[in-house]
Amino acid sequence: MHLDMGGQIGKDPWFITGISILLLLGFLAVAGPFLVPYDPYDISFSPLDPPSADHWLGTNDGGMDILSELVFSLRNTVIFGITAGTAGLVLGVITGLFSAWAGGWADQVVMRLADVVLALPSVMVLILLAAFFQPSPVVLALALACLAWPTTARGVRAQALTLKNSLHIKAAQRMGGSGRYIIARHLMPELFPLYLINFAAKTRMAVFMEASLAFLGLFDPGEKSLGLMINYALQYYYLDIWYNWLMPPILLLSLLIMGATFVTVSLEKIFDPRLRKTV
Amino acid sequence: MTIQIKDLTIYYQDLDHALLALDRLDLALHPGKITALVGESGSGKTTLGKAVMGLLPKNARAEGSISLGRTQIMGLDEPGMNQVRWSQIAMVFQNGAASLNPVHNLADQVAEPLVQKGIGRTKAMAAARDLLARMGIDAEQAARYPHELSGGQIQRGLLAMSLILDPQVLILDEPTAALDAMTKVFITRVIQDLRRAGKTILLITHDLDLARNLADDIAVLYLGRIMEHLPGTDLVDRPCHPYTLALVRAFPFMDGMRELGGIRGDAFFRMVHAHAQEDGRTHAHVHVAAPDAVHQGGHAPPQGCLFQPRCTQAVLDCSFGDIDVTACGTHQVRCIRGGIARILSFEKVAKSFGKVKALAPTDLTLMAGEVFCLVGETGSGKSTLAAIAAGAVIPDQGRRIFQDRDMDTWMKTDFASLAPKIGMIYQNPAESVSHRLTVFDIVAEPLHIQQQEGDPEKIRARVLAALADVRLSTAPEFLKRYPHELNMGAVQRVCIARALVHAPDLLIADEPTSALDPSVQAKVLKMLLSLQIEKGLTMLFVTHDIGLARKVADRIGVMANGTIMETGAAARIVNHPEQACTKMLINSARGQDTRSPGIHP
Repeated sequence: MHLDMGGQIGKDPWFITGISILLLLGFLAVAGPFLVPYDPYDISFSPLDPPSADHWLGTNDGGMDILSELVFSLRNTVIFGITAGTAGLVLGVITGLFSAWAGGWADQVVMRLADVVLALPSVMVLILLAAFFQPSPVVLALALACLAWPTTARGVRAQALTLKNSLHIKAAQRMGGSGRYIIARHLMPELFPLYLINFAAKTRMAVFMEASLAFLGLFDPGEKSLGLMINYALQYYYLDIWYNWLMPPILLLSLLIMGATFVTVSLEKIFDPRLRKTV
Repeated sequence: MTIQIKDLTIYYQDLDHALLALDRLDLALHPGKITALVGESGSGKTTLGKAVMGLLPKNARAEGSISLGRTQIMGLDEPGMNQVRWSQIAMVFQNGAASLNPVHNLADQVAEPLVQKGIGRTKAMAAARDLLARMGIDAEQAARYPHELSGGQIQRGLLAMSLILDPQVLILDEPTAALDAMTKVFITRVIQDLRRAGKTILLITHDLDLARNLADDIAVLYLGRIMEHLPGTDLVDRPCHPYTLALVRAFPFMDGMRELGGIRGDAFFRMVHAHAQEDGRTHAHVHVAAPDAVHQGGHAPPQGCLFQPRCTQAVLDCSFGDIDVTACGTHQVRCIRGGIARILSFEKVAKSFGKVKALAPTDLTLMAGEVFCLVGETGSGKSTLAAIAAGAVIPDQGRRIFQDRDMDTWMKTDFASLAPKIGMIYQNPAESVSHRLTVFDIVAEPLHIQQQEGDPEKIRARVLAALADVRLSTAPEFLKRYPHELNMGAVQRVCIARALVHAPDLLIADEPTSALDPSVQAKVLKMLLSLQIEKGLTMLFVTHDIGLARKVADRIGVMANGTIMETGAAARIVNHPEQACTKMLINSARGQDTRSPGIHP
């Protein structure tokens, strides 16, 4: 089942749309700070100005340029998402592969642990963490990863178990291949599609989670984040700021999550042929 | 009369070199017995015949002794030899038509020795005609000239010529070569009559079928040495020396099932330096051109076993010293390993998967260099047995011995050194390779795992050699192909290359061709078998198809319900099956309706 990945992905409109959105937002996040006109922490402008030639999206209650703030918030949110996504993926892959390869009681221990973690409501845990320890966003992202790995681990384990019994891996074992060799040479690369899907899904989840936590005011108020921006904007909802202050972060957040969702769906569809007809 | 040959060494001298034709040969020929001398061309068969006749060419130097009864006949002067030759020892030469005089008719030539002895011409002619008549040549044919006779008639005429003086010892050099089957049967009958008449007969032949039908015992000659001395009846079923097995496999027996296989490598010449010594004897030592040219340029190994470079079971010790004769059952073999070695043996090996008894306690022995086929219906435990042999499945009980070492301990302590000795080919080629690896990576994988070679260039060279062995392209574009871009036959070839790249001693093939269509199957099997010969592999071949097995196997083992019901030479199993399950397999393969005890519809 060797797939012509490039060809199939390139033709999928879901993927093209999703990846275009993500690339655009990614470009904004990476290059944004050099493009925006003002320092987002600069409070020297008059507060709550409507959009003008100087401030395309106007200014907020603290007299900061909303456009600059938006770009910086996007950057922070993306960093949070990627950190949590990567950490969660790495944790999940390691535990999943270990569990599948070791088998026996080690497998049981890891999988029961995964069940326990899955049973925890992650939003509640994060709220408690954020409220009690007021950790930096990176620590929070890692904490999120610690809660998010079980789904990845389960997927990786299931795939690895199937693969472990496939003939070419049995052949490699019979040739004298060690567990380390087979994991590194056969299992890890073979599961690559799974990593992509899981990474996209986890990142999406993290972005959403970050926005939620910030919206709930559980973030350092001095930070910049899309969720925080929505939180602040909502405090002035009785003013006419919905289109220049409230909507842009909501739009960006939605785009970000949409892009990640499109890519995830498209990858799942391509790498799991059974989904192709139903989606 | 008995002929005793002791320590006979013969050189053909040529300026400062000599060709060693016979080397310390011991052989006894007894009255009323046929001794056959078999071996490839150049093994010294005819030289022995000529030595007994005292007809060696002038450049030959002989040492040792040949005695006829109590008389030493080697080294007799010409008048002394003339007393013996033809009247006591006669020989029928190979390519006999050339030894007839074209200007005399056959009867004349047969009668000539009698006339020489002083018997009257009329009497002699009558005796000649009488003898020819017994050979199936009537008076009219006897009066013909050699060019008017057929090959079979000439051969019978020559036999009559050699018998006319009623010698006690008869040497027949290829008496049936170039004869049709009917004439061959006639000559065979004549030779059997001669044996009954108490003649001592030495049969020199390439024809193993003739040898096994006629000979009481057979001496297998290779490069002037007897490699195995065995009873004639054992030639096909129980050869003990790898060379004998190889000869048998190369011969087109009528009841042979397997495709013919040659003997790997080529026969050598034994060139020696002959130095004159002070006592006038020659001192010979093997001449070697250059240290690395030992097995090239036609030189046999200077010491150790002569057959070692072509042998399927050679070990390091085979290259040293002088190999002596040892007993192997009733046979005498010149092999340091005591005859064909066991490469793998099972003692009461059994395996269950949960409640399912996949394999009942089983004994099995694989001999080096043979192809052993396991045949049976699905679920009979064939694949389990193969997996246990491959070390992929651990049996519940019993002992596995691979190359004289306990396999289970070997696997536990040093699997890395055991793994490359066993190659495995799987039923489904597409599944047994990773779809992410290129052809090159697939074939190189065992080398990467084994890490015997660190040098990428050497790995590349070995991969290319393995691909060339399985007749696949070695072009860079092909090496970069993925398995899904190839057809099944090519993928299976890649798998075979992968199994052979680290030069295993045992190759286990589990239904290697069942995923292929018949024409591709034929090609892959042909290639596999020629590789088996070339590389001297031992093969365990698992198949459900007895029709296929008989084309592949030297021996067949028939399995049913986790037990090996019957093992034997492929021809024996197929032609004379003893067990009900074997008969059923054969009948089913012929398309006859049989009730399987295993499958209840």
